[in-house]
Amino acid sequence: MTYIEWLRIRNCLKVLAIILVILVGLAVVLRISVARYMSPAQWVHHISRDPGTHESSVTLPDGTKRMILDNPGERMHVIIDDHGSAGTHIEVTEPSSRAHKENNNVSVGSVHVVESRHGTMTTTIIDTNGAVPMLYYMAIADVFALIVATILAAPLAREINGHLEMTLTKPISRLRYALGAIGVDVVGILAASVMTVAAFYLCQLLFETPRLDFSGVNTRAILMGIASPLAWYAMLCAATTWMPRAYGALLGLIPLGLLFVGLLTLVPTSNVVALFIHDVAWVISRFDPLTYVSVASPNSEGTMDYSGANFGFRISMEALFFVAYGALALWRWQRVEA
Amino acid sequence: MSSIKISNLRKIYGSTPAVDGLSLEVQSASVFGLLGPNGAGKTTTFKCMLGLARPSSGEILYDGKPLTPQSFERIAYVPERNVLYEWLTVDEHVEMNRRAYKAFDPARARELLSQFGVDHRKRASALSKGMRTAVMVACAFARNAEILVLDEPTSGLDPVNQRHVLSLIINEAAKGNSVIFSSHQIGQVERAAETIAIVDRGKVILSGLVDDLKADRKIVEGIFPDVGFSLDGIANDPRVSRVDRTERIVRLLVTAGADEIASRLSASGATGIRVLDLNLEDIFLYAVSPVTATTDIVTKEQSS
Repeated sequence: MTYIEWLRIRNCLKVLAIILVILVGLAVVLRISVARYMSPAQWVHHISRDPGTHESSVTLPDGTKRMILDNPGERMHVIIDDHGSAGTHIEVTEPSSRAHKENNNVSVGSVHVVESRHGTMTTTIIDTNGAVPMLYYMAIADVFALIVATILAAPLAREINGHLEMTLTKPISRLRYALGAIGVDVVGILAASVMTVAAFYLCQLLFETPRLDFSGVNTRAILMGIASPLAWYAMLCAATTWMPRAYGALLGLIPLGLLFVGLLTLVPTSNVVALFIHDVAWVISRFDPLTYVSVASPNSEGTMDYSGANFGFRISMEALFFVAYGALALWRWQRVEA
Repeated sequence: MSSIKISNLRKIYGSTPAVDGLSLEVQSASVFGLLGPNGAGKTTTFKCMLGLARPSSGEILYDGKPLTPQSFERIAYVPERNVLYEWLTVDEHVEMNRRAYKAFDPARARELLSQFGVDHRKRASALSKGMRTAVMVACAFARNAEILVLDEPTSGLDPVNQRHVLSLIINEAAKGNSVIFSSHQIGQVERAAETIAIVDRGKVILSGLVDDLKADRKIVEGIFPDVGFSLDGIANDPRVSRVDRTERIVRLLVTAGADEIASRLSASGATGIRVLDLNLEDIFLYAVSPVTATTDIVTKEQSS
């Protein structure tokens, strides 16, 4: 019964796939362009094979496996601390005349290189293959999922607007049809998130083996990354079901309108008019699921608090919006007539 | 074997009744034609029958039971307007029907599409109006439904395909299924339907078996020597349903006893007495627009 919705999702995800493939293609081009640079692991391996290098290993009390490479002839001293899942820290001390002349300070993926000169010697610190916070992946995935959710968010309006005679003469109740269509769209939106994460994982894989951090704030980012596009979808779905003839305009204007309202909430409350505008915008923005999209909240010192305070409230609001807006759409759908 | 019974159906939009106390019954294994001018309430009646519009009052029963979502396994519908998905191919529409209805026969659908000359690889947006109708008709007739509700199923089709649709309709009744359809092509209704109802302003103004309606109704025409003639009470005869006078000419629509009425007209001084048969189109016109009908029928008769 939801064949049409599956086809809509297929078309939408096909476009998303093309965009992601282009992004991966760009990453491949970038990878090829930096291929002439030796990776940190290759570089360590290269030094350790030098006949003048003395190699020693020790396990530090915190479990770190330390390897020390010493080459007096080359006046090179290398300390490699393997922190396991927390990445690898490399310190290279060598004559400045031999030190790397390019890319003194580089950050690519989870690789960070910092060089500092001390007289005739240079110390290069390389931090590599640290855990990548899933938060970064979800931030990107959320953007793509919100776009897909916006495109898909008129499943009932599209039927009302030209196909009702076909849709409502299927041997299925209106409620089951609507729930099926919305359910299929939810799968499509989640698939968009997964595809985006997979594509960006692949991009990172071209440079290193990514190790994703799912702990703490990252878990919250995943939950918010799933909930917020669904709540956004439900809001647009309700709006388009109530005004089916204008569904295209609604899908285009609501995001812009809410962005404008969000900006109005930032208006300085310097006079009565500004205060009024701010207050009206603030009230409207309470009904926008994107208002609650955050895994951190500002604290009294003006910095962001990533401890998870208020996260329960925000994720509950997203869930509430999904249910409430979804129910509004279904209520309208039950009463629609050809 | 399925029958449909509609009792006192009313559907009011705002303060305007689109259907106003309409009652009709479609017997199983029969073809029922619903006729009416534009805006008469035919499509609204179909929509109420199928739950697409909520009746203000009245009852619609299929084999004595109200409509449920599961009823649509047995009911096929061709709507008046194009409801195809423009971005889908004809094949994908067939597939959609296959997934939606258990009894749908995709091979039969493709066969019908081929007979209508529809390219099944084309998107609906690339089809002409007639071809779109053909797709909807093909999918409906491949449903193996017991009841077919067809709202202008020949709209936009060429005469060959129109004839083909009529054959399909007649064939369904022969298989024991019930068909109710509307059309502005009254000749088609006359050819296919056994029973008709003429609807105007939401009400059934005439209904019955096509043969009975045609056999009963005649026009008796006479010409008097001068304009000040008298009909000697003929107009009050209960068999005379309408009298039209134009100068010295009088035309009487009679529902029975045409020969006797003609004799009485002659006895009252009229000359050139003629008794004219009516076809379904004439009956329809008489029902919805009597003045137009009389003029039209007589002009047609005189020219032939």
